[in-house]
Amino acid sequence: MSQILKREVVFALTGVVTVLMFVEYFFYPQDWIVASTVRNWAVIIYNISLGLGGVRLIMQHVWGTQRRKENWQFSALFLVAFVVMLLGGLVGYFTAGVATNNAVYNWLFNNVYTPLGSTTYAITGFYIFSAAYRAFRARNLDAALMLIAGCFVILSNAPVGEVIWSGIPAIGEWFRFVGQVPGMRAFEVVGALGMIAYGFRALLGKERGFYAGGAEE
Amino acid sequence: MSGQNIFDRLQSIDRRVFYWVLFITLMVPFINPIGLPVKVVQNTRDLYEGVTGDNINPGDIAIMNFGYGVSAWSECAPGFTVCAKALFREGARIVFMGAHYDVELSMNKLKNDAREDFADKVYGVDYVFLGYFAGGESAIAQLATDAWTVYPEDHYRTPVADIPLMQDFHGWQDVAVVLSSDTGDVGSYFLRQWQGAHGTKLAEIGIAMNGSTDYPYYLAGNYFGLSIGSRGGAELEVLIGEPGEATTAMDSINASHLLIVLAVILANVGYLLSRRKA
Amino acid sequence: MTFILLILTFVAMYYYMYLGKHGKVFKIRTLPAIQAIPEAVGRAAEMGQPVLWTPGIAGGLNDSTQGPQTLAAISILEYVTEEVAKAGVKIAAICPLPDALPLVEESMRTAYMTQGKPEEFDVESVRFISGQSAYMTGTLGYMQRERPASTILVGGFYYEAVIIAEGGNTIGAMQIGGTNNIHQMPFLVATCDYMLLAEELYAAGAAISQNPDMLGSIKGEDMIKLLIITLTGVGFLLGAANITFLATMLRTW
Repeated sequence: MSQILKREVVFALTGVVTVLMFVEYFFYPQDWIVASTVRNWAVIIYNISLGLGGVRLIMQHVWGTQRRKENWQFSALFLVAFVVMLLGGLVGYFTAGVATNNAVYNWLFNNVYTPLGSTTYAITGFYIFSAAYRAFRARNLDAALMLIAGCFVILSNAPVGEVIWSGIPAIGEWFRFVGQVPGMRAFEVVGALGMIAYGFRALLGKERGFYAGGAEE
Repeated sequence: MSGQNIFDRLQSIDRRVFYWVLFITLMVPFINPIGLPVKVVQNTRDLYEGVTGDNINPGDIAIMNFGYGVSAWSECAPGFTVCAKALFREGARIVFMGAHYDVELSMNKLKNDAREDFADKVYGVDYVFLGYFAGGESAIAQLATDAWTVYPEDHYRTPVADIPLMQDFHGWQDVAVVLSSDTGDVGSYFLRQWQGAHGTKLAEIGIAMNGSTDYPYYLAGNYFGLSIGSRGGAELEVLIGEPGEATTAMDSINASHLLIVLAVILANVGYLLSRRKA
Repeated sequence: MTFILLILTFVAMYYYMYLGKHGKVFKIRTLPAIQAIPEAVGRAAEMGQPVLWTPGIAGGLNDSTQGPQTLAAISILEYVTEEVAKAGVKIAAICPLPDALPLVEESMRTAYMTQGKPEEFDVESVRFISGQSAYMTGTLGYMQRERPASTILVGGFYYEAVIIAEGGNTIGAMQIGGTNNIHQMPFLVATCDYMLLAEELYAAGAAISQNPDMLGSIKGEDMIKLLIITLTGVGFLLGAANITFLATMLRTW
């Protein structure tokens, strides 16, 4: 495909879909078959991209294993796990119509993947702890005020805050419902405006990146 | 280390020491529960009242979205369970769905935790489990206009045309309330594509990390109620009168929150005093 | 009303872009995070270590608020890759989003081409790790093994932000962060040396190129911001006087 078609087709497609979605969102309270069809296509394309990701993963790790790159053993282990889960799911799907109706698949998912996922989520708490310890220093007045507000909010979130002092929940609630809400709303509004501006520039082909075919015009 | 005084050491304690202290602090309350009372805040109360009493009629269809995976069970599952119980007790019919690939595990957990409420419910009539959907916001938007195109089958591969409950659910106009429980953004998809576009009643049962983002939507009336993290789950358990996992976790929450505040105070004492000394 | 405001926004942006294209000069404040990118790449060159770029898992392209963050992050990736190509440094792009993967590859390939070094683009420098937990731990593992001198964490993040950023802190990397996800901003601010907050992420492309019509669109955006501030103030005063027609009008489309 020529360089011109590559850009123009992208712009045309994006523009048409954008207009369709605008018209449907603002002018059609009920279903509009055209927009509905386009949304279905979007869902299908997203699902295809999941397969693309899978293929990419396999390629990446096959390369790593073939060329005996550093830590290639982990790539080999990944490929084994990938094949086992894929086959387990397919067997369950073709025998009972549900991918999870397979003992091997279920065992690996429930006893390996699930605990590992829970563990990584739990690690968040520890990392937040060390980040808070390292970063929350009263270097100036602003930081000190933020620190004090943060302590009130943290303690008001736990029942022990009320035990320490009955005023902590009220102050913490004030920070949550009154103190921080204007700031959050401001972020939401400016973030949304920034997004609209970015989308507008991208639609017009003014933005950097793949839309413009690289760098600047 | 040499030349460091006590103040310098206070602000440079090895993080691994804190990890061990935090680990032990979190474990102790499980062995020796303390059980401090949990005060219910207004946003949680609004959520509970929005799914009970006059706000829900028998036969109303509610969508409950598993926007969380197994890793977030401790924060989202207790509140989600309470809301499911409350809706069933009001005679509502529930459509369960989810954007996480481990949604089946979450559904199984819900059925286990609320087994008494599920016992007299008939699958396909009182509730249906549509399962995992991929497609993000596009799929949620499509769900509002034509649900059957997003889910031509339920999770067990039964065509929706054969499911009695699904005869009454085609789009947003058939749904009385949407409850979304998220670690991410699926709640905001419902916010834009259901609540914003069609005015559907929507509430969020979210993780604590998303609380600050959700408060403005609650205060603006986009969410009729809001449950934040494990604490929100514990409050919902208080409201329904059935203490559960979230209430148990409150002791650990107490300990960890106190510890963070203490660590921050220690670090700042060291910082301020070493600056003064300098 | 929303529709009218949206059209007004487009008109304002287009008007100022038109002015910019026809010679009017607009200035935006410097974004320290963007200015720090050459410094980050230079640090990597001095230390002989790679640069890491990662966009976070939240930014699926079919999400109306997260997708643009990933696209903005890819714009920044292209700039970073150009600097990296100039300096002869390695870059690793760890992308957890299957739908963004082709765009990441294309951007990097194009960046190497514009620097006249297409042969230096290594497709294996683009790594795909799916799933949040795997992505988090995979990125941490990469950081521990390869010890990137600089990490660029821009895009839509969920809770993996704090873990990846803290991991970067542990290895002493120079960190540049950026997200529009409010719930992750505090973690990135606490752990990164430079930060792009909210709209700064979207304005990065304009800040990098200093293209007059791109800067014009930011000026148009600022004009609409002024309008919103005015409406907010007027609405507040009217609301205090119990006059609610403005609020009601703004609530309708």
